[in-house]
Amino acid sequence: MERLVAVWIEELSVEAPDGATLRDTLRLLEALEVLCPFTEVVRLGLFVFPVRGPSRFFGGDDEVLKATRQTVLDVTGYTPSLGIGEGLFCAEIAAKKQLILEAGTSEAFRRSLPLDYLGRKDVATTCRRLGIHTIGAFGDLKRARVAERFNKHALVLHALARGETAELREQRDQKLKLRLAQLRGDHVVGEEQMGFFGQRGAADERAEVAAHRLRRRLGPEAVLVASLCGGRFPEDRATLVPWGSPPAPRAPEAPWPGQLRSPSPTTTLTQPVEVQLRDAGDQKVTMLSRGFLSTDPAALLFSSQLRREIVWHAGPWPLIEKWWQAGRKRAHLQVLLASGEALLLVAESSRWWLVGIYD
Amino acid sequence: MFAFSTKRPEIPEELLTTLRPVTLAKNKTLPLGGPWTSLVPHGGLRRGSTVVVNAPQGLGGLSVALSLLSGASAKGHWAAVVGVDDPGVVAVADLGVDLRRVLFVPRPRGAWAESAADLLDGVDLLIVRPPSKASHGAARRLMDRVRERGTVLIVLAEPGAPWPLPSDLTFDITQSQWATSSRLDARYLTVRIRGRGEASRGGEHVVVLPNRRGQAEAS
Repeated sequence: MERLVAVWIEELSVEAPDGATLRDTLRLLEALEVLCPFTEVVRLGLFVFPVRGPSRFFGGDDEVLKATRQTVLDVTGYTPSLGIGEGLFCAEIAAKKQLILEAGTSEAFRRSLPLDYLGRKDVATTCRRLGIHTIGAFGDLKRARVAERFNKHALVLHALARGETAELREQRDQKLKLRLAQLRGDHVVGEEQMGFFGQRGAADERAEVAAHRLRRRLGPEAVLVASLCGGRFPEDRATLVPWGSPPAPRAPEAPWPGQLRSPSPTTTLTQPVEVQLRDAGDQKVTMLSRGFLSTDPAALLFSSQLRREIVWHAGPWPLIEKWWQAGRKRAHLQVLLASGEALLLVAESSRWWLVGIYD
Repeated sequence: MFAFSTKRPEIPEELLTTLRPVTLAKNKTLPLGGPWTSLVPHGGLRRGSTVVVNAPQGLGGLSVALSLLSGASAKGHWAAVVGVDDPGVVAVADLGVDLRRVLFVPRPRGAWAESAADLLDGVDLLIVRPPSKASHGAARRLMDRVRERGTVLIVLAEPGAPWPLPSDLTFDITQSQWATSSRLDARYLTVRIRGRGEASRGGEHVVVLPNRRGQAEAS
């Protein structure tokens, strides 16, 4: 189990009616994400993040806790209870007791805890009458014996007591992440930019109704929405998903070295068409392993023996992706036909494909 | 004598104030972006009008049609693209169209006119590329519906399959010239714009579409 730092702030655990708690939680989350990008808010007032990375960075668990305490104090003005333990269950209790459990000691700590920490009064009372006082003793019971006496919820507690699971479902607030995302989204997205899956106006409703009607008429895959994702070539950067499917991740603004610059083809074929390139002597033009063309292309042959003259070409731009596993070697080529059309071709496994048309 | 020869009574002042047009003229047009604002009369697309973009296949018709969306899309209007089989999403985004408010119907399976009519209720701009020559009746019905809904219909037509009815505004692409360096750089399109009313004067203009950033630009 992963060692976690738990940050327990009593003052933030009860939601104030004016929404200040949620705003403070979001602010604190953003501040703690600076300390550790894997910080998550489990429920109101309880934050956790893995200790391993920050501990190496700050030089020890104590330093991490010091930095965390200072951050919480700076951002919210409250003094947090901090603790370190393995698994969310132990970490939370360690935080409330302000303990640092060294690596490997969480198991013994959990076993020594009284049964009340499991949060089920009936289980705790019954077990106490049977002479079982600690979580460890409860975990030592056979699973079948527990199932005989209690319902299936007690089996979840039993799994935790045995150390098979690290946390209880009741510890987490399932809706909190969504609420925070909404709150965060409101800060980022302005009035004008409300999108398809964000907040909506009357025009969005109308469009949705029309899309629904069309989907009924043509089938679920008929209406598509587009978004951009990272990638080097236009056919990789576009995602067209059926309307109504979960929103695609937002366009990352990360740089992609070697990206094909604008302009991009206005048509990118989802099913590339195989073509042949011929030189002036009607010989096949192939890609050499060093990323050069064997000769200059002079004509483009579609499979239907349709022959078009090439007046200009640019590239090829070779691209070797994921060479550490089954590598994918591609090279892109822009060609300009005598008729004035510009096309984007790809060489892959010694064949040429038409992937884009600059219409 | 005759009823029409009698003098009309004065309209009361308080009634006059209520008789102002409910819709302002600027609400009746959708904004254009890029170079088109200065080339098209009133700098916008009148709601309820039909725009036809005539171009041989592969010579910039789709780019022109998509660039007509950019201004309105940035202002929050919805658009739909019917019958464009494999839209180049990157190019669409480069042209300034907000992808979150565009619906694509790539292959309407012979029901392009019905699909377009369905979408008219939901979007403000609609690009249609009929898969074959549009019939007179289908075109008439669609244009009537467009006028009634106050949408703007942008039809992508080819010289071989022209739009059968006169449109309010027509963009004819007469020439297309690529500027190249070590890659495709920019395309100079010669566009003749003609139409009814003020647009009837027409004129040929050269626009850069796309330029090095994939956008439309006056040359």
